[in-house]
Amino acid sequence: MVDMKFGYMTRSQHTHDEDMSARFEELLEQVRLLDKLGYSSFAKGNHFSSDPFYEFQQMPLICRLMGEAPNMRFIAGIVLLSLHKPLEVAEYFASMDMMSGGRMVFGCGLGYRDVEYKAFNVQKGTGVVRFEQNLEAIKRLWTEDKVTMKGDYFELDGASVSMPCVQDPYPPIWIGANADVAVDRAARMGDIWYISAHHRKDTLLRQIDFYKSCLDKYKKPFPTEWPLRREVFVADSREEAIEAVRPYLGLKYATYHAWGQSEPMPEGETLGLDFDDLLENRFIFGTADEVAEEIVDYCKLFGTNHFITSCQWPGMPHSLVMEGIHRFAEDVMPRVRQGL
Amino acid sequence: MKYGLFIRGQYRQDEPDLKARFDELMEQVRVVEALGFSDLLSGMHYAGYPLQQFQLMPFLARAMAETEKLRLVTGIILLSLHKPLDIAEQMASLDVMSGGRMVFGCGLGYRDVEFQGFGTQQSERVPRLIENLEAIKRLWTEEHVNMKGSHFDLVDTTLSMRPCQKPHPPIWMGANADGAVRRAAELADTWFINPHQRMDTIERQLDVYKSALDEFGKPFPSELPLMREIFVAETRDKAKEIARPYLEEKYKVYHQWGQDKAMPEGDDNLDLDFDELTRDRFLFGSPDEVAEQIIGYEKRLGVTHMVLGMQGVGMPQSQMLESLHLFAEEVMPQVASA
Repeated sequence: MVDMKFGYMTRSQHTHDEDMSARFEELLEQVRLLDKLGYSSFAKGNHFSSDPFYEFQQMPLICRLMGEAPNMRFIAGIVLLSLHKPLEVAEYFASMDMMSGGRMVFGCGLGYRDVEYKAFNVQKGTGVVRFEQNLEAIKRLWTEDKVTMKGDYFELDGASVSMPCVQDPYPPIWIGANADVAVDRAARMGDIWYISAHHRKDTLLRQIDFYKSCLDKYKKPFPTEWPLRREVFVADSREEAIEAVRPYLGLKYATYHAWGQSEPMPEGETLGLDFDDLLENRFIFGTADEVAEEIVDYCKLFGTNHFITSCQWPGMPHSLVMEGIHRFAEDVMPRVRQGL
Repeated sequence: MKYGLFIRGQYRQDEPDLKARFDELMEQVRVVEALGFSDLLSGMHYAGYPLQQFQLMPFLARAMAETEKLRLVTGIILLSLHKPLDIAEQMASLDVMSGGRMVFGCGLGYRDVEFQGFGTQQSERVPRLIENLEAIKRLWTEEHVNMKGSHFDLVDTTLSMRPCQKPHPPIWMGANADGAVRRAAELADTWFINPHQRMDTIERQLDVYKSALDEFGKPFPSELPLMREIFVAETRDKAKEIARPYLEEKYKVYHQWGQDKAMPEGDDNLDLDFDELTRDRFLFGSPDEVAEQIIGYEKRLGVTHMVLGMQGVGMPQSQMLESLHLFAEEVMPQVASA
């Protein structure tokens, strides 16, 4: 019997005509409901200069929300680690882990947007080295009393973080990765490869095998917690589900493509596809039975034991989001657990 | 007169239960919210050894959940360390989530370990402060910002959210040396007067501040915040006796860190005997004595916001709350009726 966990990812991204104060109040309601209904984790991504969307910044949002949800873990999904300084990130996550009572998950990745790289003075081509040096420094800051390390863009001279993490040795490190070389890096440097919602099911099959071979190469065990994130929507029929979310999901993916997210995808994949094509192998839309069946299939195929549903897209009204949270918890979760 | 509680959230290395200490801090937040304080503040340091400390922005964001009216003041963001897009974004999110209750306190840092950790150095701190602040103000008020700084490049950059407050949260600038005080006059909405300096230094620097305001054609600010370390008990001797060990612990560390190198000449030695350190700096006394001092600050200096540091390193919660309640019951009404 698999101990199946369910998580929820919010984007809380909205178009510029929205009242973000009102959207925030709604988000509070959504988070309280998620915690109450037994979702075990809450994930939030991050972008800077999120034009054409408005969105809340990941770190302040998670900190504000941890007081509202006493049970859920909080996944930074993901910190754009190439942009930042390791001392700051290590310090923030230690504080967050302490304040939350040990409920943080440290998701991280490279980032891909020029506007962000430029604003943070990250020259093209330096993203990988920064990511690797930053992550190494962060792990050392979390585990060593005093750290001396000279990176290309920072220097630690007998530095320590201002408090330890609660989790031992530190919050789990989930690394987001699209291309094979990045998946290899996730195997080498992280605890878990954090699979994005963009990956097609058939690509995933190959890449998860590849991930396993990388883990073997680095003599690391397959992770005991194995999360997967998928865009999901439950309705009375597949057609109804699609029609309900089409305007919101379509806008999101068109924006991703405009932002250049397609560029780091594995060969043969691009997000500049027709909406209907995106439905094939990526999204899980349908009745509770259909959705549960598909999730069970993913779990049996890939060994997923922490399923993170992405169910909230720009412009989607609060009532639809709340309905989705209810339906997934009440109709899908029990069916999945039964099916495993 | 308005009041702010400055929560340092600093603990010794051997503190056994930081989670319990954190819960106590949230209790302090709820207490000052109920007492009708105006502001909640905390400070920023990285690599704070030998002190353990909660990080400023995460802490304020979490504390927000315990408040409805209190303003949340970054006291202060070490602006020279950061990238302006990052700070502008974080503050805007905080401002919207709080319903427009953020105050942007900022200033220079002074610790090498922090500059190095952020890939910069002391010599860059003033130019970076100035250009960062300019970029942040533009990001808060304009869309599609283009600005090339010495360590950032904003290209058609629009913030992920505008702050709730218009045009933006008030800007409080911390300043120790005279040049920094002049800069606060030029670039900020007000000078956030720090607790390390003696009152005679502050009085002199207020003249520097006012002259600079005249020079830049700016009026005297509607808010003038002054921070003081404070402890109230039945008598001054009792107050000093209780507060002394905790404050001494803290100032030993600040001296180690080199905070006094950032102070003006003649007022730059924090390694002093405690009595000397206390004189003219710390507000320890009976309710009457403390009220008298605060009334003086209000009338003589034009202070509008008293920011109180009330818990030295290691001071038990019960002692802090006792002083806080005595302050609320016997000092605040005296000041109000003066």
